[in-house]
Amino acid sequence: MSENKQAVVEIDRSAYEFKDIETEKDFYRIEEGLDEETVLKVSAEKNDPEWMRDHRLKCLKLYNEIEMPKWGPSIEGLDMNKICSYVRHKSEMKGKWEDVPEDIKNTFERLGIPQAERESLAGVGAQYDSELVYHNVKDEVAAQGVVYTDLESAMRSEYADMIKSHFMTLIPPTDHKFAALHGAVWSGGSFVYVPKGVKVDIPLQSYFRLNAAGAGQFEHTLIIVDEGADLHFIEGCSAPKYNVANLHAGAVELFVAKNARLRYSTIENWSKNMYNLNTKRALVEENGIMEWVSGSFGSHTGYLYPMTILKGDHSKMEFTGITFAGKGQNLDTGAKVVHQGVGTTSVINSKSISKDGGIGTYRSSVVIQNSAKKAKASVSCDSLMIDSISRADTIPGMDIRTNDADVGHEAKIGRISDDAIFYLMSRGISEEDAKAMIVSGFANPVSKELPLEYAVEMNNLIKLEMSGH
Amino acid sequence: MNRDLDMKVNVLPVLTYGFLKVNDSAISESDIKIDSLTTPDAKKMPSGIDVKRGVSFKEAGEIFEKNKDRIMYTTGVPGAPNADTTSRNDGQAIMTGMGIDVDELMISVDAKCDIYTAQEGIKVSEPVIIEYKMNDNEGSISSQVIHAKKNSEITVILFYESEKESAGFHGISTRLLAEDGAKINLFKIQMLGDKFIHFDDIGGACFEGGSINVTSLELGSKKTWTGCLVNLVEKEAELNTNMGYLVRDDHFLDINYVADHRGKNTNAVIMAKGVLMDSATKVFRGTIDFKNGSAGSAGDEQEDTLMLSPDVINRSMPVILCQEEDVDGRHGATIGQLGEDLLFYMQTRGIDEDEAKRMMIRARLDSVARTIPDDELAQKAKYYIQNIV
Repeated sequence: MSENKQAVVEIDRSAYEFKDIETEKDFYRIEEGLDEETVLKVSAEKNDPEWMRDHRLKCLKLYNEIEMPKWGPSIEGLDMNKICSYVRHKSEMKGKWEDVPEDIKNTFERLGIPQAERESLAGVGAQYDSELVYHNVKDEVAAQGVVYTDLESAMRSEYADMIKSHFMTLIPPTDHKFAALHGAVWSGGSFVYVPKGVKVDIPLQSYFRLNAAGAGQFEHTLIIVDEGADLHFIEGCSAPKYNVANLHAGAVELFVAKNARLRYSTIENWSKNMYNLNTKRALVEENGIMEWVSGSFGSHTGYLYPMTILKGDHSKMEFTGITFAGKGQNLDTGAKVVHQGVGTTSVINSKSISKDGGIGTYRSSVVIQNSAKKAKASVSCDSLMIDSISRADTIPGMDIRTNDADVGHEAKIGRISDDAIFYLMSRGISEEDAKAMIVSGFANPVSKELPLEYAVEMNNLIKLEMSGH
Repeated sequence: MNRDLDMKVNVLPVLTYGFLKVNDSAISESDIKIDSLTTPDAKKMPSGIDVKRGVSFKEAGEIFEKNKDRIMYTTGVPGAPNADTTSRNDGQAIMTGMGIDVDELMISVDAKCDIYTAQEGIKVSEPVIIEYKMNDNEGSISSQVIHAKKNSEITVILFYESEKESAGFHGISTRLLAEDGAKINLFKIQMLGDKFIHFDDIGGACFEGGSINVTSLELGSKKTWTGCLVNLVEKEAELNTNMGYLVRDDHFLDINYVADHRGKNTNAVIMAKGVLMDSATKVFRGTIDFKNGSAGSAGDEQEDTLMLSPDVINRSMPVILCQEEDVDGRHGATIGQLGEDLLFYMQTRGIDEDEAKRMMIRARLDSVARTIPDDELAQKAKYYIQNIV
C-alpha cells in the first residue's frame, strides 16, 4: 500500500461523526414539533425583547402559509413534527475555554477548534446545538473596536438598535418557507461589527456543532463591515450521524459598506442525515468587495446559494465553491447575484464532483437590472462525474435587463481523463490514488483561496470522500 | 374555440427559482383564434417523397406510439433530476419542446396532419416547400409528421408569411422520425406580421446513426413560442439546431430546446444567435440531457445574444443534465452589446457606428439565412432582415 493510500485510510469520518450522549441532567430540550407554544418557549428561553417575540410569531404564521419550494431536491423526508427546535446545555456561555463544560470541550477539542484559535484565528465562537457555548476574541482585535459576540448578548447591548435595523432585512421571512421557519425559532449565532477603516488581519471563526439527534439548528449570523474595513470570517459545521433527520436552517446576513471587503469562507461537513436549508445573503455598497469561498461536503440534502446584492456602484463579488456529492447525498448548490449599481462586477467559479450515486446540482442566477450599466458578470461551472450511477446537473439562470452589460457563461460536464490516470499510473501511483490526486487538482481553485489549515482539511475531506469511507 | 384554459408551454425539464420566471410560459386562451385546420399544398414536392394528407393528429402519432419503447429506452435509471417535469408530457405520442398542451389543443380542435415520408434508401436533397401565406386576422393551426425511413433523406422548408402590419394566429406542430441512418433537414422561416401570435412545436426521435437538423429564423410576430425536443435514441444519432432570431418593438420570443441523449456516442449541438431591439423580450431555455446509457456522447449549446437597446429583457437558461460518466457536455453564452474594440476597428475603416451595428446584425442572421436550400426563400429572408435593420 502506498504512503498516500495510508493517508487516505487514516482520515476517518469519526473525526466528525463521533457522538456525545446528551442526558436530561445536562441538557434542556423542548418538545418536538412547531407551534405557537414552541415558539413562545424558545422566545422565553432567549429572554427576547418584545419586538423579537412578535417577529417570531409573525414568522411562524408565514411559515404555515408559505408553500414548499417546487424546485430542488425532495425534502419529503423532513418532518417538522419530529424536529426539536431548541436544545441547550444547562450551563451559560463562557468566555474562557477552561470554563466550558467538559463534554462539550472534548467535542471541540476533537474537532481541533481551540488549537486553530491558538494558531491562526483572531477570535472564535463555538455553538453546540442551539446555543453558543464559547466566544472569545483576541485582545488586540477587540482593542481595534471589533465586536465579535453572540447575537443575543449584542441585542441587549449598545448595538441593540443596529441589530434591530439590520436583522432579517436582507433575508426577510417572506423570502421562502425556511427563512420564515428560521425567523420563528432562530437561536445562537454571532454578531460581528468591524468599525470604519479597521482591517482584521487574521480570520474570525464560528464553528457550529449539532450534536442532538432529531434536532434543528437555526443560528443567525449578522456581520457588518463598516466603511473601508476588512474582515475574513470562517464558518465550519459538523454533526454526528443519526438515523433520524436533522435540520439546519441558519441565516447569514452580511453588510459590506463603502470601500469595505468581506471574505466569508465555509467548510460544511454536516453528517449525512442533515437537511441543510441554509440562507446566506450579502449587501454590498459602493466599491465594496464580497468574496465567498464555499466547500460543501456533508448533508443528506442541501439547498445552498449564497446571494450577493451589488447595490453600490463599482461593487464586486467573487464566488468560489466546490461541492462533493457522495453516496446518498443530494446537494443543490450554487450562487445568486443581483447587479444594481453601475460598473458592478461578479465572478462565479463553481466545481462539483458526483460519486457513488450522489446527486450534485449547480444552480445559479445572475440578474442584471436596468440600472447596472457597464456591469460585468462571468460564470464558470465545471462538473466531474466519477461514475455512471451518479448525477451532475447544471441549472444556471440569467436575467439581463440592460444592453450596456457584458455577460459570459460557460459550463462543462465530463469525466476524469483516462490519459491522465494512465500517466499517473505509469509513474507508479495506484488508480485510486491517481483519481484522488486529479480530484484534488480539480478542487485546487477553491482550496487555494482558503487559509492553509482549512485547505488541508478540505483536501482531507476530498480524500475521505474519494476513498468511499 | 371551446377551450377554457390557457396553455402551459415550454416547461423547463427541471424547475428552478420561481423569481426568474423561466419555469414555463403561457399562451392565453384569448390569443388563440382558429379558422383553418389544414396545411397548404406543398409549393414544391420533389419526386421520391410520399405525402398523406388530412390524417387526424392522433392517428398521425401512431408511428411514434408503436416505437415508444425504443424511443424511451435507457439502460438504467439512477434517478431523475431534482424537480423533473418530463412526466407531465407522458401522454404525448412523441415528446415535444412545447409539451402536451399543444397536443391537447390539436386533438381538441381535430387538427389535421400531413405525413411526408421518404421511403427506405431514398435520398432526396431537393426540398419540400410548404408556404403559409396568412391573411390579416386569419387563424390557422396545422401539423406535419416527417418520416425518414431507414437510410433515406428528406428536406422540408416551412415558410410562414403575412403582411407586415397584419394580425392573426398561427400554430404548428411538426413531429419527426429519422430511422436508422436516415436524415431529416427541417427549415423554418417565420416572417409573420407584427401583430401575429405564433407557436411552433417540434418533437422528434433519431434511431441508430440517424440525424435531425433543424434550422430556424424567427423574424416576425408579436408573440412567438417555439420548442424542440429530440430523442437521440440509439448510438451515433445526431441533432443539430441552428436558430437565428430578431426580436423588436415590444415583441416576445419564448424558446425551449431539448436534446435527450439516450444512445451511445450521440451528438447534439444547439445554437441560438440573435438580436434584441427596442423593448423586446426573449427567453431561451436550452437543455442537454445525458441519460443513463449515453456513454461517449457529446452535447454543446451556445447562445450569442446581441442587445441593442437599454430596454430589452433577455432571460437565458442553458441547462445540462447528466447521469452518465463518459460524456462531454458544455454550454456557453455571450450576452451583451457590440464590443467597443470592434466598433473602433470599424470606425477606423470609415464605417460609422450605426452602419457597423447594421452589418453585425445582418451578419448574424444572414449566417443562418444562407443555409436555406432555396434561393428565393433565402433571398426573401435576407431582404426582410435588411428592411428591418
